[in-house]
Amino acid sequence: MTAELGAELGAEDRAPELVPLNAIFATDFVQILVPVTTANTMAEVAAAVAHHVEGKRVRALPYDKVVIYQGERLPGEMTVAAAGIKPLDHVTVEYDIPEQS
Amino acid sequence: MALLKREEWQGFVRDVDWSYRYVDDEAVFPEWLSGTGKVPREAWRAWEESYKVSYPEYVATQREKEAAVYAVKAALQRSSAFDSLSEGWKSATKMHFGGVALVEYAAVLAELKMARFGLNGSWRNMATFGQLDELRHAAITTFFGHEFVGKDAQYDWTQKTFHTNDWVAISLRNLFDAMMTSSNVVDIAIELPLTFETGFTNLQFVALAADALASGDVNFANMISSIQTDEARHSQQGGPTLEILVEHDPVRAQWVVDKAFWGSARAFAALTGPAMDYYTPLEHRKQSYREFMEEWIIDQFVHTLEQYGLKKPWYWDEFMRGLDIWHHGLHMGLWFWRPTIWWRPMAAVSPDERAWLVEKYPNWEKVYGDKWDVIIDNVNANNMEATLPETLPWLCSTCHLPACNAIQSRDGTWRVRDIPLSYDGRTYHFCTHGCRQIFWKDRDNVNHETLIDRFLAGQIQPMDVGGILGYMGLTPEVMGDDPDYEAWTKDYAGRPADGIAAAPPVGTAPVGTAPVGTAQS
Repeated sequence: MTAELGAELGAEDRAPELVPLNAIFATDFVQILVPVTTANTMAEVAAAVAHHVEGKRVRALPYDKVVIYQGERLPGEMTVAAAGIKPLDHVTVEYDIPEQS
Repeated sequence: MALLKREEWQGFVRDVDWSYRYVDDEAVFPEWLSGTGKVPREAWRAWEESYKVSYPEYVATQREKEAAVYAVKAALQRSSAFDSLSEGWKSATKMHFGGVALVEYAAVLAELKMARFGLNGSWRNMATFGQLDELRHAAITTFFGHEFVGKDAQYDWTQKTFHTNDWVAISLRNLFDAMMTSSNVVDIAIELPLTFETGFTNLQFVALAADALASGDVNFANMISSIQTDEARHSQQGGPTLEILVEHDPVRAQWVVDKAFWGSARAFAALTGPAMDYYTPLEHRKQSYREFMEEWIIDQFVHTLEQYGLKKPWYWDEFMRGLDIWHHGLHMGLWFWRPTIWWRPMAAVSPDERAWLVEKYPNWEKVYGDKWDVIIDNVNANNMEATLPETLPWLCSTCHLPACNAIQSRDGTWRVRDIPLSYDGRTYHFCTHGCRQIFWKDRDNVNHETLIDRFLAGQIQPMDVGGILGYMGLTPEVMGDDPDYEAWTKDYAGRPADGIAAAPPVGTAPVGTAPVGTAQS
């Protein structure tokens, strides 16, 4: 019925969709392919990117990780859909190191 | 009747042409193949090769070269020379055989195109010799590599590489299809003989020959040196072509040279850089890749540009900075994604080797040392899972090589940065600004899909590491692996190793490339 009326569901209300990302983790040497879904939170995206690099090419640090998208730090609970991250977009994942350290 | 001396007849026959009675010039030399563009057709009458040769002379010389190279091969075949070569050097030769053998065959087609559609009879004659040269190179390279298939299955990729969808093969096909297969002959003459052959084959055939001799591989040195003697002759098709193009269309001349030089530089950073600075045993290295580039390529290229009244390419500063970066990042990429290649990449980062790297590249430790240290600590912890890939590196939409070029930030740290481009409804990512600019200017050309494009389009099934390796034609007996982990890790054994990946519990399936939160294949 909604389709007939031309009113599409927002990305956050649809079933999770695949969102392949171009990602760089901290000081890693290479951009990598990391598939996530529209339903993943930024904390999950950060973990997914880190999975391929942390402790494997970049030494793990005892800090939280933050997703940076288009120059903005995104909250950990925000979903890919809510952030407006689209397939083939780029994200950087950084350690959230406190100022004093 | 007495035979005329060569100088009495060659000036007359070398540029024989036809007057057409029932077709026009465009029918014989169509623009899409001959590519005269803004150059008036009659301007090509001035085309003149600097080194002239007759067919009998050509055949006599080539026969001597073939006899010499095969005599050395026959003598060495009976020796145990191959068995004493280091695994690192063998890898350098496997890269060369797989990466070059069928490029030589593509060059046959490019020379044949110039032999038919070249805009002057002399040019067509020169290209006829050129195609015979390239046929010899394709044959000799394939034959020399094939000899070792019985000893090591990876040498089978001498002939096989270009028939696969391995990412290295896709990258090289993309470069050489643009340079040789899809170009018109004016662009070919500038891209292939002038830029690639006079410049970069020096690097692969002369400089690598020095490393080959030092490494005890007389056969390989002999083969590539013999090939280079042909390059030195037929590469001269570029000069006269560029001279005429610069006079009538300098903007096009500059663009064609710039594009070919950049593409060649990227490919050689991947193939020759690791071979010289990592695979060649430390005691046998003659010069660093950067030193070779400066001596054999850059001085000559800049001289050529000045000679023809052209400018340094717009990307010059980025290219020069890349001499300290590109091939080191690509080496790490080739090593980490080693199951995807047909040779055994030697990490070659022992303390002595790192000291040499820092001597040649003062920033090497700052940019790469920390990453290699984590890898070393994982090897020493016997956590090999952590040293193997579970996803793809992002492949640049222009050069198809991993996007792995660190840039120094204002705070002094080195970071890889995304270099994107939104075009025609999608986002592309590039390894460098040079690759992005070339993509933009060439965007209406047909480009190969990168392995990432193919993967995301569902062309690779199943969508996991096994599916990717199968798509690329890799089989277990050929997949690359480091030939000697201990050689470069033993000196670091026992040191504190914080922050490395936890070894997975026994029996855990690899995560694969499925998105988080979905079932793993």
